[in-house]
Amino acid sequence: MEIITRQKIIDDLAPKKFGWRGRVWVIVLLIFCFIGLVAYLLQLSKGLVVTSMRDYASWGIYISNFVFFVAISLVGSLITAVLRLTNVHWSTPLTRIAEIIAVSAITFASIIIVVDMGRPERFYNLFTHGRLQSPIIWDVVVITTYFFISILLLYLPLLADFNILLQIKKRTGSRLNKLYSFFGSFWKNKPEQIKINNRSIQILSITIIPVAFAIHTVTSWLFATTYRPGWDSTNFGAYFIAGAFLVGSGAVLVAMYIFRKAYKLDKYITNDHFDRMGKIVVMLALVYLYFNVNEFLAPAFKMKKTEEGYLHGLFTGVYSRIFWFALSTAIFIPILILVNKKGRKPLPAFVAGCLVVIGSWFKRYLIVTPTLLNPLLPMRDVPDSYRHYFPSWQEWAIAMGSLAGMMLIITIFARLLPIIPIQETIDEMEEHEKD
Amino acid sequence: MSTSDTSRRDFLAAGLLAGAALTGCSGNENPFDKAQKSGMITPTGKTVKLLSVDGEVVEMDEAFLRPVSDLPPVSNAEARVGIPGKKFVMVIDLSRCKSVKACQASCNHAHELNPGENWIKVNVMQDAEYTAPYWQPTTCMHCDEPPCVKVCPVDATFKREDGLVLIDSDRCIGCRFCMAACPYTTRVFNWEAPQIPKEMAAKPYSCETSTPQKIGTVSKCDFCADMTRKGELPHCVSACPNGVFFFGDMIEDTVSNGAETFRFSELIKDKAGYRLMEDLGTKPSVYYLPPVNRNFPFEDKEDSLGEKKDKIKS
Amino acid sequence: MLAFFNEACLSQAAKNNLILGLGYFNSNNQVQYLKASTKSKINGKFRPVGDIPVRYYISSEDPANLLGKAVTNDKGIAHLFIPPSAAAAWKKSAKQSFLVVSDSTKEYDGVHSNFDLTKSRIQIDTLPDRQIQATFSEFRDSVWVAVKGVDMKVTVKRLGGDLNVNETPTYTTDSLGLIHADFKLDKLPGDSAGNLTIIAEVDDNDVYGNLTTEKSVPWGEPTQYVSSYNQRSLFARRGWSPLWLEWMAYSIIAVVWGVMIYLFFQIRKLKKLA
Repeated sequence: MEIITRQKIIDDLAPKKFGWRGRVWVIVLLIFCFIGLVAYLLQLSKGLVVTSMRDYASWGIYISNFVFFVAISLVGSLITAVLRLTNVHWSTPLTRIAEIIAVSAITFASIIIVVDMGRPERFYNLFTHGRLQSPIIWDVVVITTYFFISILLLYLPLLADFNILLQIKKRTGSRLNKLYSFFGSFWKNKPEQIKINNRSIQILSITIIPVAFAIHTVTSWLFATTYRPGWDSTNFGAYFIAGAFLVGSGAVLVAMYIFRKAYKLDKYITNDHFDRMGKIVVMLALVYLYFNVNEFLAPAFKMKKTEEGYLHGLFTGVYSRIFWFALSTAIFIPILILVNKKGRKPLPAFVAGCLVVIGSWFKRYLIVTPTLLNPLLPMRDVPDSYRHYFPSWQEWAIAMGSLAGMMLIITIFARLLPIIPIQETIDEMEEHEKD
Repeated sequence: MSTSDTSRRDFLAAGLLAGAALTGCSGNENPFDKAQKSGMITPTGKTVKLLSVDGEVVEMDEAFLRPVSDLPPVSNAEARVGIPGKKFVMVIDLSRCKSVKACQASCNHAHELNPGENWIKVNVMQDAEYTAPYWQPTTCMHCDEPPCVKVCPVDATFKREDGLVLIDSDRCIGCRFCMAACPYTTRVFNWEAPQIPKEMAAKPYSCETSTPQKIGTVSKCDFCADMTRKGELPHCVSACPNGVFFFGDMIEDTVSNGAETFRFSELIKDKAGYRLMEDLGTKPSVYYLPPVNRNFPFEDKEDSLGEKKDKIKS
Repeated sequence: MLAFFNEACLSQAAKNNLILGLGYFNSNNQVQYLKASTKSKINGKFRPVGDIPVRYYISSEDPANLLGKAVTNDKGIAHLFIPPSAAAAWKKSAKQSFLVVSDSTKEYDGVHSNFDLTKSRIQIDTLPDRQIQATFSEFRDSVWVAVKGVDMKVTVKRLGGDLNVNETPTYTTDSLGLIHADFKLDKLPGDSAGNLTIIAEVDDNDVYGNLTTEKSVPWGEPTQYVSSYNQRSLFARRGWSPLWLEWMAYSIIAVVWGVMIYLFFQIRKLKKLA
C-alpha cells in the first residue's frame, strides 16, 4: 500500500480553485437560481395563481420539494452521527460531504416553505402568534433546532482543519485565510482542546439522532394529522424516515463520485467506499421497500371507499406511470445494480445513486398530489382546472431553482472547506501505520 | 316579572322607553332586555325619538331598534370571542333541495367572492349503486372539534363561544394547512387578487362579515356572523326558495327557514337528522334531514362541474 | 312580517317598471315604522332594486307632511321610524294615510304608493294554566273598540324565527276581540331564569298593517350554556393548548437546546484554552 505522507494529505485535500468545469457548473446553477428568482418575483406580484395549485390540489411541488429537502437533510445524522457513534472508520471521508448536504438541504427547506406561503410578509406571525397545537409550529421548532445542530456538527470537526489550512497560508488566498482565522484561529491543537472537542462532537452525534428522527416525523405529521386517503396512516413517521435515509445515502453516492472525479480524490474516496456505501443503500432500499409494502398493501387489501380512488389512481390509473417509475428508480433498479459486486464500482454506484435521488423526488410528488385530488366529498362547483394538477412553468422554475440553490451552497462549501476532513484523515493514516 | 339584575338598570339608564307611553303595552318588562342580557347588543348611548300609537313621544336607544340597519363593526377581539350563551346550528332538508343554487348566488354576492369561488357547494351524492341520488348542499360545518383550527399555526382561524369557526384574513399566512385538514373540503383560497372595487378592498376587514377578501388567504362559510348578531338569518337561508336551510340557536332549541320555525330537537328526531362523516369525530354543527318524500324528483341537469348542461362554457 | 304591497303606477316605455310597496309596522305599540320595498322585473324575474331614494309622507304629499327620506338597500328595502313630527297629523283622526314617493332615477321613473291605516293595538295577558289571552282593538271615535274576525298568531320569540306556542297556526278574534292560546311547548329552553317572550301578532292585514306585542313569561326551562371556549384543547386559541402537550414540547425543547447551549459554552472554553 502506498504510504501517504501528512503533507500529501494536506495538499490533496485543501480546497482548490475551480477549473473551467467548476466555473461552468456554478454558472449553470446561477442561471437556474436566477430563473427561479424571476419566477418567484412574478409569484409575489400576481399571487399564487401563477402556480397550478387550486382549491383541491392546494399543495403542490413546493411542498413535495420541502419534504424532499427535509428528507435529504437527514443524511447528516446518518453518515456523520450514526456511523460515527458505531465506531465505523471507513465513513470518515464522507462525513463532511454529508454534513454539507444536510446544512444546504435544511436551508432550502426553510426557503421553499416560505415560497409556498400565500402571505410570506406575515412570516413573523409564526413567532408572535404561534399556536403550540399546530404541527407546523412543531416543524418550525424542529427545523430550526436541526439547522443549528447541523451547523455545529459541521463546525466542530472543522476546527482542526482550519488550523491545518492556516498553516499553509501561502497556498490559500488571503480571503479564505481571513475566513479560516475568524472561525478557527483559537484552535491550537492542544490536548485539552482536542479532548473537549471530541467530547462535544460525541454529545452532538448522540443528540442529533433523535432530533433528526423528530424533524422527519413531524414533517410526516403535516400529512398524517389529516383525514385524507393516503395520509390518514399510522405508518407515516417511520415510512418517511426510511425514505429519508435512502435518499440521503443516494445523494451521498452521487456527491462522492462527483467530488472524487472533480478533485481527483481517488486515494481517499476509494472503490471500497463505494462498495460499502452501495451495500448501505441496498439495505436502506430494502427497508424502504418494506415500508412501502406496508403502506400500500394493507389499505389495498381493504379497499375502503374513501381510499379506492386514490389507490386505483396510483396502481393503475392517472398516477400509475409515475408511481411505478418512482418505485423502480428509487428502489428496484438501484437494488438490482448494487446487489452485484460489479454494480458497486464507482460509476454504476453513481448511476444508482442518481436513480435513487430522482425516484425519491417523484415519490414525494406522489405523496402530495394524488391524495389531494381524491377528496372525501365530490369535487363540485369549481372550474375545470381545479380537478387536475400539473405544475406551471413558474413552479418548475422555482422548484428547479431551489434544487440548484441547494447544489450551489454545496458547491460553495466545497470551494471554501476541505471536502474531506483533513485532520481526521491524518489521524486515520497514523492509526493505520501503527498497526 | 321584575328581575333584579344590574343589566336591567343599566339598560334603563341608557335612556329607554319613557314611562308615560306604557299604556299601550302590558307588562313592564322590556323584551330587549333578553337581547342585551344575552350579550348580543350593547346600548350605544345614542337615543332616537319616536311616535307611539297613542301619539306620545318615546325615546329609545338606537341599538335596540328593530329592524336594525347596521350595527357598528365589532372589534377583532370581540369577533374572536363571539356571543356567549348561544350555539348556532344549521339544518339542511335534503328532501326539498332542487339545486336551484339561489343559496350559492346570494352567499357569493353577500361576501363579494370571486367568480368560481363558492363557499356553498351543491354536491350530487349517491351513496351506493342502488341508493337514491340526491343533491346535498354543503357549507362549512363549524365543527365542535374543528380539524382546521387544530392545525392553524398562527391562530388565524378560531372557534368562538357561539360555536362559529371564523377566519381572520389579517392574520392568515396562506400556508393552506387548514385546507388540507378539512375533511369536507369546504375551504377556498384566494389564489389571485379579489375582483372587488378599490373602495371595498380598502375597508377594514371584519371576521364576522369575512369581507373584504384578501389575496393569499383562506376563506369559507361563516354562518353570516354579522347577520346572526343582528338576529337575522344567514343569506343562504333567506335566499332559498324551497326552504331547504334552517338556522337557529341550539340552546333555544329552535331553527327557522324564515317562513317555518320548528323545535330543533323535535325536527331532528322526527325526521332522523344526521351529520356528515360522523365517524371522523369532528362534531359538525350542520344536520341533514334525509331525502325522503322528495319534493322534486332527481334530475341531474348539470355536468360534473356543476354547470347547467345546456349552458355554453366560455 | 310581510309588507302589504300596493301596486304602483307604471312608467313610460323607455325605463323599466318599478313596483313600490309600502307597509306599516307597529312593535309593542311603541315603535312604529314604515317599510318601503321596491322590485322590478329584470330578465323575467322579479328582483329587488337598491339605491332608490324614497320620501315618506303622512296624510298627503305635502312638504309640510314629510316624515323622512331613505334610500333602499341592496334588498330593495328602506325603513323609516315614524318621528314625533307626525304627532299633529296622527292625533287628528283614527284613520291615517301614509304615502311613499320614489324619486326618478336613470333606470326608473318616480312612483307613488300609499297605505291607509286604521289605528289599532294588541294587548297581551296571561291566564292560569299557561294560557295566553290577546285582545285586538281599534281606535274609533277616540276610544279603543274590540274588533272581531282579525287573524292573529301567537308565538315564542326565538332567534331568526318565532316558534308557534301550539299546533294552531292562526287564531281569529271573537266578538270581544279576544283570542286564547294554550302554551303547549314543553320544556322549551328560556334564559338563565327560565323566562320566555310571548309574541302576539297581526301579520299583513289590509286595514291594520303589521302589529306585534310581546310579553315575558316564566314558562321556559332555565338554561345556562357554557361552551368549551375557556377550556384547554387542541383546537383552542393560542396559549390554551392541553397541558400534556405543553409539558412534552417545552421539556423536549429545553433538553435539546440545553445541550446546544452547553456545547456553545464548550466552544468558548476552547477559545479560552488558546
